[in-house]
Amino acid sequence: MRLTKPTLFTNIPVTCEERDLPGNLFNQLMKDDPSTVKGAETLMLGEMLTLPQNFGNIFLGETFSSYISVHNDSNQVVKDILVKADLQTSSQRLNLSASSAAVAELKPDCCIDDVIHHEVKEIGTHILVCAVSYTMQTGEKMYFRKFFKFQVLHEVFYSSDLSSVTDEVFLEAQIQNITTSPMFMEKVSLEPSMMYNVAELNTVDTAGESESTFGSRTYLQPMDTRQYLYCLKPKQEFAEKAGVIKGVTVIGKLDIVWKTNLGERGRLQTSQLQRMAPGYGDVRLSLETIPDTVNLEEPFDITCKITNCSSERTMDLVLEMCNTNSIHWCGVSGRQLGKLHPSSSLHLALTLLSSVQGLQSVSGLRLTDTFLKRTYEYDDIAQVCVVSSEVKQS
Amino acid sequence: MESNESKAKDAKSTSDEDDSGDIVQQKTREEILFHEETIDLGGDEFESEGNETVSEDSNNFVDKLNEQMMESVIISDSPNNSEDDTGELGCLQEIVEQMEAKDNQKTQDEVDKEEFLSNGSETEHEETPKDVSEIGTDDQEESIQEAVKEEPKLGNSVHVETKPNNTDESKPEDEILSPGTSKSSSEAEPIPVCTIFSQANNVNTQQQLFLPDGFEPQMVKSPSFSSIIETPVKSNPQVVQPSPSLSKFFGDTVSTNTLASDFFDSFTTSNFISVSNPNASSSVPEQMSSLSNGGDSSCASPNPAFSVRNGRPEAGGPPSSVEITQSPQPFSQIQAVFAGSDDPFATALNMSELDRRNDAWLPSEETRNVLISVATQQYSTVFIDKENLTMPGLKFDNIQGDAVKDLMLRFLGEQAAVKRQVLNANSVEQSFVGLKQLISSKNWRAAVDLCGRLLTAHGQGYKKSGLPTNHTTDSLQLWFVRLALLVKLNLFQNAEMEFEPFGNLDQPDLYYEYYPHVYPGRKGSMVPFSMRILHAELPQYLGNPQESLDRLHSMKIICAKILENLEQGLAEDGSMTNITQENRQASVQLWRSRLGRVMYSMANCLLMMKDYVLAVDAYHTVIKCYPQQEPQLLSGIGRIFLQIGDIKTAEKYFQDVEKVTHKLDGLQSQIMVLMNRAFLHLGQNNFAEAHRFFTEILRIDSSNAVANNNAAVCLLYLGKLKDSLRQLEGMVQQDPKHYLHESVLFNLTTMYELESSRSMQKKQALLEAVAIKEGDSFNTQCLKLG
Repeated sequence: MRLTKPTLFTNIPVTCEERDLPGNLFNQLMKDDPSTVKGAETLMLGEMLTLPQNFGNIFLGETFSSYISVHNDSNQVVKDILVKADLQTSSQRLNLSASSAAVAELKPDCCIDDVIHHEVKEIGTHILVCAVSYTMQTGEKMYFRKFFKFQVLHEVFYSSDLSSVTDEVFLEAQIQNITTSPMFMEKVSLEPSMMYNVAELNTVDTAGESESTFGSRTYLQPMDTRQYLYCLKPKQEFAEKAGVIKGVTVIGKLDIVWKTNLGERGRLQTSQLQRMAPGYGDVRLSLETIPDTVNLEEPFDITCKITNCSSERTMDLVLEMCNTNSIHWCGVSGRQLGKLHPSSSLHLALTLLSSVQGLQSVSGLRLTDTFLKRTYEYDDIAQVCVVSSEVKQS
Repeated sequence: MESNESKAKDAKSTSDEDDSGDIVQQKTREEILFHEETIDLGGDEFESEGNETVSEDSNNFVDKLNEQMMESVIISDSPNNSEDDTGELGCLQEIVEQMEAKDNQKTQDEVDKEEFLSNGSETEHEETPKDVSEIGTDDQEESIQEAVKEEPKLGNSVHVETKPNNTDESKPEDEILSPGTSKSSSEAEPIPVCTIFSQANNVNTQQQLFLPDGFEPQMVKSPSFSSIIETPVKSNPQVVQPSPSLSKFFGDTVSTNTLASDFFDSFTTSNFISVSNPNASSSVPEQMSSLSNGGDSSCASPNPAFSVRNGRPEAGGPPSSVEITQSPQPFSQIQAVFAGSDDPFATALNMSELDRRNDAWLPSEETRNVLISVATQQYSTVFIDKENLTMPGLKFDNIQGDAVKDLMLRFLGEQAAVKRQVLNANSVEQSFVGLKQLISSKNWRAAVDLCGRLLTAHGQGYKKSGLPTNHTTDSLQLWFVRLALLVKLNLFQNAEMEFEPFGNLDQPDLYYEYYPHVYPGRKGSMVPFSMRILHAELPQYLGNPQESLDRLHSMKIICAKILENLEQGLAEDGSMTNITQENRQASVQLWRSRLGRVMYSMANCLLMMKDYVLAVDAYHTVIKCYPQQEPQLLSGIGRIFLQIGDIKTAEKYFQDVEKVTHKLDGLQSQIMVLMNRAFLHLGQNNFAEAHRFFTEILRIDSSNAVANNNAAVCLLYLGKLKDSLRQLEGMVQQDPKHYLHESVLFNLTTMYELESSRSMQKKQALLEAVAIKEGDSFNTQCLKLG
């Protein structure tokens, strides 16, 4: 028998008042019912534990517990009983029996009991194989096996979404409860890889007390989705070597621990989450500083950082600035930036102004590698909010 | 269990021949099974098995036998399938089918009736004794009947239209009543309505004829079979008496007749006579004549039935008038007596504080207008749409039956089943006293039946839904009891069907003001508050919790409004009645507790919806209403969090409980604290500690069923099946009266199934224990015998 956690018995309260026909009969019946809460009979949720009725569902990350009972139904004493419980998954066969020692004898109407536990780590078909061998009084060796098949399902569904601004990487992890019962998320944490430091952005500090962004609702209803946000910052030593973080990098893994009915525990660790570093190509341009709000038709400054991401080539870059409908660059276009060695970067202060109000995107920077005659285009590198000067002053 | 052991011993002494016989038999079975197993396995698994089974050689089939026997663990392949669910569904389906069958049968009967055929020997058996029975009762009735008939005739000339109807009806009655007319008796016999009288007759006479058939006594398939249902249970000597007792029985029916009316009075707290049904109210026109002068017969007086009466024969069949006319006579007579004392001043004084306090309810605007116009009689007649009237009737005429007995017949044989004796609707007094007796002895099915009979006597019987009727305090109380019992029996669909004609319990004819001549001066709702709660709670059991919440919310608003009125120095309904301080206090108290009851239901409903955050909030509100239940409720909230899996919050609540109970010491709070600690350990997967705490409770209170059961459950999780079984068995044996509870038995049978493939015997032993102690309301599903 699979041992999921027992459930609490619920009763259906039917009450009446003194003046009603049955008098206090209904209330008395409820008082006499052993499954009601004494003193608060109308409370639906009782205290009586009931055993699991059926196999139920088993989900990845949960612990599979089962009661194995070998009962001697015959009227003969049998000897040297060996009970073996194996779990066959699609990839491996695990031995779950607590003891492998044989029991000397089993009298009629007696039984050998064992409770096995196993944290399921694979989805798909599992087969519990129980093998029993014993010797009859006549000396005959007997052997039989029983198979119990069950499917392991996904309990949580997660998807992640990465976005990066400058060097920081924001990880949004969506966790959905795809079971049919509510689920209490005990822990959802991101274990970063060695290159990153992580900051969890799922609590709000108010007056020294951190409060969960999910409010008082500590659990996920079936099909509910929760979004966890993490900010990953490259560690100093890696940040400087800009070239290191490129291509596919490992940023860490999510560790999810949940509990369901009466503390039934489940745990899931994702595989390493990988991140495709944005295709910087050989030359990377990132923004260091930019104001969020600027005045209409007034120049403002931004600072760019240009990094040579190529492995060994020293570059000779030319900067061009192309005006768009709203963004106008101030300064000389087509100027030489000088030699840029591999994995080194230079800071560049630029001035521009906007002629249109509203949220404007900064576009139109072009870098040309003079040696390869290759032009890199940088559009939509940032956004600024442009307001009319009166608004800004007031 | 004992029998099982002894059987095992017997088996020991049997020769080996038996065993080998068994083996052969099981071998064939096993082979089929074996095939299935191999199908289940993957290909590689199959190979590995081949390797392992090499050593089995000659003992192969014995192994297989054992394999069969050892089948103690059952793991379902499809995780979602739950046998219980389908079982329930099947059950419901059956009921529906049977009810349909019943309907069909009825129409059939009506056809038969028209042709005046006494077809088949079966019906003849029933009829002949019945004729005799009817002679007895009807003779007496006739005289009364005659008396009543006089009244409307004398009454007034206004009811010209109604009169012919009445006389029309009375004619067939006369025919029926005339003794010895076999034609009319055949007409009267297949009454499609479950009435006290016809059924009792059937019981009396048919029993010997049908008992040997061993007919499955589950549900009534047709009216003519209805007696069969009763026969198996009908071992009560008082009723089962040969012909000499027939006369006595008729005496009974007559007395039942009066009883039915008596109890209608007995319960009413006011001194006024309740009008129980259209015929009974035939005297009312006399009183009413003054107000409905010149009006036509469709007046909205307390007897609106009159105008629609002619529709009745089509719906219910002509004979239905027979049983309608039976009970009311006493009413009309008493009514006539009371007609004179219609003094508004005296009645105003008579309306007790208690009535006003308890019956207070705020009708909707529309209903209020109707009630006002009834009270002021602005118009000579108040026209009320038929849709605005409450016209309830039984939707199924018999659910009697005893599942325990059915199971006994199936598994233990007829002899054992005969021993099963429970009270049924026939074996008790046909009154509130009998009803209470049935309820307290846990024979709720029989009690539902009895309610049905009493309601039939009231003219709201089977197939009477949709026909005009009058309501009284008692009829509504009966409905409440019947519906409450249906809910208690988990027959939610049935309850919903019968609740349906009541609408939202706000129709004008459910208020006392609607019957100024029957309940002069009395105000408020006839519908008991508990019935409103029941009505509001019902949809949640049928998968519509939102509707429940809506209903509860509107109840909450009215409760709050009434409390507000009281606090502003007004009466409950907002009128400027003077209330003494004492009475006001009592009223505030009552309505606070009612508000608390509504909140309780809301919290329960939210819990059912699994909206735990709101449920917890609602329970907090309940604590404010019932401060004395704080520790229990806090523990309950703690358990909710445990259920979600939020162990930390649960612990916090349990600590709060300890703080609260710290002040009061006493056994109960001590138990509560221990219980909570045990649950907390359970949540932490520490079954050993949990077991320790449950056992601790038992040391203080050895009869604590919950601790006993829970300790046993813990033992199972600790791998001690035998100990666990011993504990539960000991508990059940120690006090079967209390511990033969569904949940305990469910655990017990589950463990029996785990223990051995021979669990059937043990389950049957439980059935025997249940048969001795439990009434017909026992939920046999927990025995898992199906």
